[in-house]
Parts: sequence; structure tokens; C-alpha cells
Amino acid sequence: MVMPSPLLEIVGLRKSYGANEVLRGVNLRVRPGELVCVIGPSGSGKSSMLRCCNRLEEASGGQVIFDDRDITRADVDINAVRQQIGMVFQAFNLYPHLTALDNVALALRLVKSRSKAEARQLAQAALERVGLGHKADAYPAQLSGGQQQRVGIARSVALQPRMILFDEPTSALDPELVEDVLQVMRQLREGGMTMLVVTHEMAFAHAAADRVVFMDGGVVVEEGTAADVFERPREARTRSFVGRYSGARAA
Amino acid sequence: MSGDTSGLIFTFFNQEVAARYWLQILQGLGVTVGVGLAVVVTGVLLGLALAVLRALHIRLITWMVVGFADVMRSLPPLILLIVVYFGFPSIGLPLSAFATTWLALSLVLAAYAEESIWAGIVSLPVGQMEAARSTGLRWWQAMAWVVLPQALRRAVPPLTNRVISITKNTALGSVVALNEILNQAQAASSTSGNPTPLTLGALAYLLVFLPVVVLARWMERRWKGR
Amino acid sequence: MEALQQNFFNLPIYAQVFPYLLQGLWTTIWLSALVIPLGAAAGLVLALVLSQSRRRSLRWAAVAFIDFFRAFPPLVLLVFVYFGLPFLGWEIPKLGAVVLGFLLNNAAYFAEVFRAGLEAVAPGQMEAARSTGLTRLQALRHVVIPQAVKNVMPDLVSNSIEVVKLTTIASVVGLPELLRAARDAQSLVYNPSPVVLAALMYLALLWPLTRWMARLEHRRTTAR
Repeated sequence: MVMPSPLLEIVGLRKSYGANEVLRGVNLRVRPGELVCVIGPSGSGKSSMLRCCNRLEEASGGQVIFDDRDITRADVDINAVRQQIGMVFQAFNLYPHLTALDNVALALRLVKSRSKAEARQLAQAALERVGLGHKADAYPAQLSGGQQQRVGIARSVALQPRMILFDEPTSALDPELVEDVLQVMRQLREGGMTMLVVTHEMAFAHAAADRVVFMDGGVVVEEGTAADVFERPREARTRSFVGRYSGARAA
Repeated sequence: MSGDTSGLIFTFFNQEVAARYWLQILQGLGVTVGVGLAVVVTGVLLGLALAVLRALHIRLITWMVVGFADVMRSLPPLILLIVVYFGFPSIGLPLSAFATTWLALSLVLAAYAEESIWAGIVSLPVGQMEAARSTGLRWWQAMAWVVLPQALRRAVPPLTNRVISITKNTALGSVVALNEILNQAQAASSTSGNPTPLTLGALAYLLVFLPVVVLARWMERRWKGR
Repeated sequence: MEALQQNFFNLPIYAQVFPYLLQGLWTTIWLSALVIPLGAAAGLVLALVLSQSRRRSLRWAAVAFIDFFRAFPPLVLLVFVYFGLPFLGWEIPKLGAVVLGFLLNNAAYFAEVFRAGLEAVAPGQMEAARSTGLTRLQALRHVVIPQAVKNVMPDLVSNSIEVVKLTTIASVVGLPELLRAARDAQSLVYNPSPVVLAALMYLALLWPLTRWMARLEHRRTTAR
């Protein structure tokens, strides 16, 4: 069986902040339509790796190859690339001075050059898909954390990207609100969206991910299917990290 | 074109004229610094006193303090100087140029200082005063040891900006014949028919105030964390 | 008290000089209306250069400009521009010199205000905007700057009030604004009442604005 070529490929990625090396040669592949979850302890470099994928941070070495093009090169039009790779942030980062609808419509208007009316229509549709069509005219301050994050997802989805990066999307949410966001993510997955998700939600990763990647100390320690990593971990570090989760499950 | 630049230098940086008048400018600098320091000390202390009075929460006093602060912040300092210098003699209160400048600018600084310090006091959680009183401290002790130290720290950034502004207003003293830098520079310029003393005066001001501005920027950065 | 009323609050003299002072007030108002928007625009540009430019030389030039013109007393700057420039052979009209002097000083103060406002906008805002493909310019214009301005509204109003007060300095070089008119009237009637009247007029104009600014400031601190 021929495996489809990867949509996103990270090769030998390195990143240092001064003397502190947080990424020491990371290799990772995401194939079209896959949901890949990245798990690991704090400080393992997961977020840095993710942010290098759309060049919110610049890698110190290695390559990020998206759609067969190396996007770490200086001559790449990064704004065009960012229309293809969406991002959802842990802190939501909604624009407080714009309504939910305008938050989603802004890029459509400016980057995709839609007319104001078209942009609002598409934005409304995106909000409906995350279940917040009725909150189009609300300001972020009037929304709960879970609602804000769903608007954040709509903001990325509206641009119809090829894939979306999720940087700990539920870590800043109260526990009752986490499920709403995960539900939207599952729906995206069913719709065929390619997703790379850094998360602490082990149950979600175990149930929904096609592949799981375990990172520690700036490298990929182990990867495989969700079942492989959670139920049959090969490495000792993976075992001890996952063991804490499984122990909680058993209890 | 070298003719033009040498002409510029001859006009604005004339060494001969500079040598004749630099001492005069230096005297003016002494007056500027003297008045400036005097204004800062009395202005800030008066502002602190007014803020503490306001903290008594006695309505009449609060109205008077707020009224004072509003008026002093709404009036152009120059007009205050002129009213005091040219007006007070006619009601039997003649003041020297130094005293006029000191009085007027102190009152203005006091108004801004009171507002900044009051804002600092108000920004503290109510629990601070409550905790202090609950351990038996008297009101004025709680103010002195708990509230004011914190309030003053928060008031530092806006206060430093205001202090800089007000001390630069010492140049206004030249209008009421205070012999500070600008006054000396203008006099020397018209006597010699050459603007070099003005250049010297400008340099003197920079000498005094550039370090103050840089210091203020550094202080603001240092206190940003709190 | 008799002396006070005679010399400070002399009503017949008030009536006599009021029309004359009114003309001066008009000059004050349009001079302010000219300098405030220009100064604010220039200040915003400086603040953007300072916080956004990638060229260190540009950033340093902006800081140097701001610190220099904040250190310079406005009256000295005005005198320098007004009396000094003709020596250079530049014959600029009286008004031009005054406006130039004010602008140089004012832009620096506005730049400081905008700088603080820009810094207060969370970095996540720029990131979010860039992550949807907006260029830096688009992100600044639609996401960052609107929030920066909202952050510092009270300081912008405060600065504008300062400009109105600053116009009195132009009286020194003879520009017929309100204070100049009052002093001229004073020498004509040998009585300081005109100047006191002018002070009252400044109060009438600026006290409401000061109150409004205090309210904006109060709203900002309680919103935190």
C-alpha cells in the first residue's frame, strides 16, 4: 500500500533560546487528513516546535516542509503560507475590540480580498459550524472561555486552510468547558481536516488521534498509533509518562 | 557650500561671542537648577500633604483639594506667573521673580502630585488599610507605614513625567524677569547681536534635562514590574 | 478686599476688554486645533517606528528625537526657532515658526503616550493576526493600533489639554493669542484685571476638559 506523501514534514528541527536548547533535532510527519497529537511533559519543546511550523518562531536549524516546499527559506511568502496553515492558541487571542463575527471576518476581508458582505456571510457560516452562530454580535468579553476558543477555531477554519495547528487549545479552560471545544475538534476531524495538536488531554488523544507523538527533552521519544503509544509503549520514558494517565483511568 | 556652513558656525557657534558670555549663561544655569529643585521639593511635599488630607474622607476638605487640583491643572502656568508677578503688588503682595516662579510652579506641581499620589492610594486594595488597622495601628500610622509607601511607588512613573515638565517651565520665569538660562541667553544675544548665546543656553538646558529624561526612562523601566 | 476687587475683578474693565480678549481666545483655539492633530499624527508615526522598525538605526533616531524634544523646554525651542532661523536666512512667517516649534515639542510627547499604548497591547494579538495571513501593516492598522489608542485615551486628552495651555507661550513672541491680548490690555488700562479675566476664560475652557479627563482616567483604572 502506498502511503500518501506527508502534508507537513519536520526534519531535524532545532531551536535555541540563547544557551538553552529546547529542540534538539525533531522529526515528524503529518499526512493529509490525519489528526496527530503531541504529548509530553512541560518544557519538552512541544509548543516551540508547533510555533516553528508557521514561523511564529524561527528555527535555529532544520527544515519545515509543507506541501513539498521548505517554508523555512527566507524567500517564502509567509503570509500566503499562513492562509494554508491555521493556528489556534492556548490564550485564544481574540481581538477584544471586534465582535465575534468581525474577529472571524477580518482576515477574509483583508487577506482573501472578499467584499465586506461576502466576508460576513462566510464568517457567519464558520460560526454556525462551531455552534456559535447566535453569538455573532457578541464581544469576546461577553463570551465564556470555551465560547472564545470556539470563535478562535472558527477564525482559522473560515480561511479554509489545508491544516490547523492547535497549541494546547483547552489548557486555559475550566474543566466544564473543555468538552465543548473537544467536540468541535472531533467534528473538524470527521470533516477531513488535517490537524496537529499539542495537548494535555490524554483521553482525547487516546480516542481521537490517528497518531500520537511523545516528546521529551526536545526530541521525539516515541510515536505510533494511539493504541501503540498508550497501551503498548516501548520506551521507558513513555511508559512512565503515560502510566500516570492510565493509572488515573484505571482508578 | 562650505561658505554656508562656515557662515552657520560663525553665526550660531561663534567662539569669540561664546567666550564672552558663557559665564553669564552658567549663572543662569545655577538659577534654573536652584528654582527647579526648590519647586520639586515643595511641590511634591505639598501634593503629598493634600493627598493625605483627601484620604481623611471629609467631604468639605475633599472638595477643596479637588477644586484646587482642578484649577491648577487647568490654568496655563504662564498666566499664573503673570498674575502673581504683575498682579499681586497691586494688592500689597509684591514678590521677587524667584519667589513668584517658585510659588506658581510649586502650586501647579502640587496639583499634579496630589492627583498621582491619590491615584496610587486608590489603586491599593482596601484590605491593606483594614489589615493595618486590625493590628492596632492608628490611622496615621497605617498611612505612613503601609499605604503611602505602596502608593508612592505606583505614583512614580506619572510623577517623574510631571516633574520634568514642571521644571522645564522654569524657563517661563524669564518672562517675569527671573535671571535663569533663557533670560541670560536672550539678553546676551541682543547685546552682542549674535545668536550664539542662545545656542549656549540650549546646550545648558540639554545639559540639565537630558540626563533627567534618561534617568526617568530608566526608572520607569525598573519599576515596571511592580 | 477692596483692593482685590479693584485690581483683580474690576467689572467695568472686564466689560471693556472682553471683546478684545475674545479675539485672542479665537486665535488660541484654532492654533490648538492645528497643532493637536498634526502632533498626534507625527507622534504616532514616531511611536510606530520606535516599536516596530527592524532597523536599529531608525529606532535609535526615533528615541533620540523623542528624548531631545522632551528635554527641551518649549519656550526655549520657540525662541530658538523664531529668532534663530532668520539668522540662517530662512524667512518663515511668524505663525510658521510658532507652529513648527510647537509641533517638534508636541510630537515627542504624543510619541511617548502612543509608545506606552502600543506596548500595552498583548503580543498574542499580533501573533493571532499574523497567523491568519495578515501582513504586519494590516495587523497594525486593524488590530494593534485601535487597541493602543483605546488604552491611552486619557493620556491623549491630557496631552491635548497641555497643548492649549502651551499656546500661552506664543505670547512671548507676540502672537496675538489670549494671553498676549490680555497683557496688551493690561498695559493700556494700568490694571491687572484683564489678565485675571483671561485666566478665568482659560478655566472656563479647560476645567470641563480636565474633569472629563479625570473621569476617563478613573474609568481606565477601575476597568483593570
